[in-house]
Amino acid sequence: MTVMKLNVIDLEKSEYTGGKSSLCPGCGHDQISNVIIQAAWENGIPPEGIAKMSGIGCSSKTPAYFLGKSHGFNTVHGRMPSVTTGASMVNRSLSFLAVSGDGDTASIGIGQFIHAIRRNLDMVYIIENNGVYGLTKGQYSATVERGSKKKKGAMNEQPPIDLCAMAINLGCSFVARSFSGSKKQLTSIIRAAMGHRGMAVIDVISPCVTFSNNDESYKSYNYVKENDEVLHLLDYIPHFTPIEEVDIPEGEFDDIQMFDGSTLRLETVGDEHDPSDPMSALSAIHRAEMDNKHVTGLLYYDNSMQTAEEALGLTETPLSALSEHELRPSADALDDINSRFRGN
Amino acid sequence: MEMHVKMERICNDFTINIATANGTGSQSSNLIILNSMFQMGVPVSGKNLFPSNISGLPTWFIIRASDNGYQSPGDKAHIQVLMNKDTWFKDLESLEPGTIVIYNEDAKLPVDRDDCPSFGMPMTKMARGINPKLARLMCNMYYVGALAHLLGIEQNALEMAVRNQFKGKEKAIELNLRAISEGLDYATENWEDEIPYRVESREKDPDSFLIEGNEAIALGSIFGGINMLSWYPITPSSSLAEGIIQWLPELRDADDGGSTCAVIQAEDELAAAGMVIGAGWAGGRGMTCTSGPGISLMSEFIGLAYFAEVPGVIWDVNRVGPSTGLPTRTQQGDLSMLYEASHGDTQHIVLIPGTVDECFEYGWRTFDYAERFQTIVFGFSDLDLGMNRWSTSGFEYPDSPMDRGKVLRSQEEMDAVENYGRYRDVDGDGIPYRTLPGSGLDPILYRGTGHDEDGIYSEDPDVYYATISRLKKKIEGARDLLPAPIIREEEEQQIGVIYYGSMENSITEIDDMLESTGLSVSTCRVRALPYHSEVESFIERHEKVIVLEINRDGQMYGILRKELPAHLIPRLHSVAYTDGLPPRARVYADMILDTLEVTA
Repeated sequence: MTVMKLNVIDLEKSEYTGGKSSLCPGCGHDQISNVIIQAAWENGIPPEGIAKMSGIGCSSKTPAYFLGKSHGFNTVHGRMPSVTTGASMVNRSLSFLAVSGDGDTASIGIGQFIHAIRRNLDMVYIIENNGVYGLTKGQYSATVERGSKKKKGAMNEQPPIDLCAMAINLGCSFVARSFSGSKKQLTSIIRAAMGHRGMAVIDVISPCVTFSNNDESYKSYNYVKENDEVLHLLDYIPHFTPIEEVDIPEGEFDDIQMFDGSTLRLETVGDEHDPSDPMSALSAIHRAEMDNKHVTGLLYYDNSMQTAEEALGLTETPLSALSEHELRPSADALDDINSRFRGN
Repeated sequence: MEMHVKMERICNDFTINIATANGTGSQSSNLIILNSMFQMGVPVSGKNLFPSNISGLPTWFIIRASDNGYQSPGDKAHIQVLMNKDTWFKDLESLEPGTIVIYNEDAKLPVDRDDCPSFGMPMTKMARGINPKLARLMCNMYYVGALAHLLGIEQNALEMAVRNQFKGKEKAIELNLRAISEGLDYATENWEDEIPYRVESREKDPDSFLIEGNEAIALGSIFGGINMLSWYPITPSSSLAEGIIQWLPELRDADDGGSTCAVIQAEDELAAAGMVIGAGWAGGRGMTCTSGPGISLMSEFIGLAYFAEVPGVIWDVNRVGPSTGLPTRTQQGDLSMLYEASHGDTQHIVLIPGTVDECFEYGWRTFDYAERFQTIVFGFSDLDLGMNRWSTSGFEYPDSPMDRGKVLRSQEEMDAVENYGRYRDVDGDGIPYRTLPGSGLDPILYRGTGHDEDGIYSEDPDVYYATISRLKKKIEGARDLLPAPIIREEEEQQIGVIYYGSMENSITEIDDMLESTGLSVSTCRVRALPYHSEVESFIERHEKVIVLEINRDGQMYGILRKELPAHLIPRLHSVAYTDGLPPRARVYADMILDTLEVTA
């Protein structure tokens, strides 16, 4: 294999890197940042065409550490989806890449998460999920599993909020789960999500090395590695790569066509999973939960849904690029309104 | 009774109170009376006192005719219409002797006021004759006929008002006109007595029409180039959003048939505010409209927009707080909240229209100020201005092109700025330059955390202090660029009255009441915060200044006291009162007189 120096739009990978991370050494989030850099570079997305969005928390700090040539907005706790919604309405040509955490999404921001999905906002929504609040020193979050125990304190007794199950129930058009330690799988999923039109929710288990990387924690590195139930092997084939150049796997496989013309190739391992069937996705999640395992891969996919922008019937030109002539009705239009009010 | 002797006519100077139940269609009848008088050129105003309810609870509509142009509800009813059994006895009890009573006989309730001339009509029975199913709604049209007879409302004015009310719905127009004329005929045939009150035609400004403040703001924002409306339903601002939704397809479709403004009904007010900020950050004109409870929820985001310097427009149509308060009543109780919304030191631009013309004007101007100053700009209206109908001679087209503010859109523009940094005060006016996502120009990560002049995270004490000092300077610089106060000044500079917003509708009458005691009174209507330097010079020129407002605590008074030079503060006296009703001139005039006496 030759090492690519330039991507399809002739940019070096360094065009996609960001500032130095201030997270704890070994943090799963930094691995995800590296995957985001890799995925955006390999997909050949112009950096200025991406908008990085986040809320508040360890994960939400990471947009400072990747895609330094993209504009970004580190908003307020749990409210990133609404800011993304407004920005997306005004400039539909931007590719929105959002990073959030389990506190940011599953607790304070669960309402906005739900409604962004319901609108099928065209964005990639990555949750860096470690089951604890890091910046406030290790309290449990709402995604921690029953029976899991962080480094300090009691075992958690409350059931977890499973964000993937929730997203599927809400009709989300792309739902996947992965692990920050599974670089290949995560890269394929993020690359596919970037080519998807509509809301792509990716729940990435990302161990917190400081507060819950002990073996009793179900989101520790060791635990996830041992208990990862991989649905399928994933290969991402971008639209600019001729399909003949890609190796055909030996076993069974399915190709999923993304909106931008690229392909996500699912190679079956074990039981076959049908990502177009929400029931099958939900049972895979529930089975795994009952066994205290994590199911990873593309859980659900539906490319037939209208996005928020399409449903609103907006003009093709990004609204932020319209001229005064297009935005302000004429003086004649106002005269006409006045005249109608006068009853003429 | 004296009714039988030749009576003195009182033309165009009376108040009608109409008591009905919510959800019975009485609003149509009331607006037809209001509009038909307006069509005759009678200076008239209407106030809808409605409950927070869909159907059944009592509602009152107050119509005041006044050749003096007085628009506040007046001290008492001269004519009382009784339609609502639930409030029948209380309404009757409150009447002064001599009040004319018109009532629905089919309520089968007594009218035990020998001192009030009363006129009964079997309104429900008659309405059943037209349409049994609609009798509950139609019966209200009979008091329109009754009033038309007693007051002398002209037939063509009535017809015009009915056509206006039921625009193009021929069947409804026909039925309602029939009910009105049946009511009129019944009154003509059965009522012998006359009443002193009459309407008399005046020369009507042919350009004038009545409109609610909310619809005026809606139109103004569309002419202001709104790109995104996010909103969460709340009385009394919903009709503002619905006005935008109604007018957009006609006014704002692009050549490809797509809309140039996105409308999103948000999941709550927090999300509505977040969407406004997202739109502003991406280079669009985002707006939301709400009332006090919504502003409380939006406050965190408002601080983000202030600190990260993102433009956006938020309209507050004030209702009565605190908490859920009186959701369908009016107040100016949110002013200080708007001015300093969110935690930490903040200060926001607030535009305060007092007329429907200004509602339209500020509808577009708010966007220009928001983009110029890269911050949230509030529009501050209230239920009285927003949901009642006021006269205008027609809206004026914006007199200046859109101001999109300091946005660098190309590398050339960027190169022309010396030592660019997202938050660097290059021009010395506190307003930095910005670039937009998608442009590839100076991409930064916007944040609500501390940041230096280049937008990089910083906890450095000097950097923080410099940032908040520049923000102060930036908003301070807006003062004299915002709408100047409207000042009406007497030569003897004895008493000054500072007021704002919908108090405009009562000020003439208050002023006349004060001057009738021999006082010389100047008035100054503040139209924006931070207040214009002319407000300060107005205070300089007057010995005593009353700050008049529709709230309990004197919120504008508080702001003035905080920001005025110390030697002017002793001149200020607060007169603040609120009970949920639109301001009655007598109440405020008496409070002003009491205050002047106490401080004499």
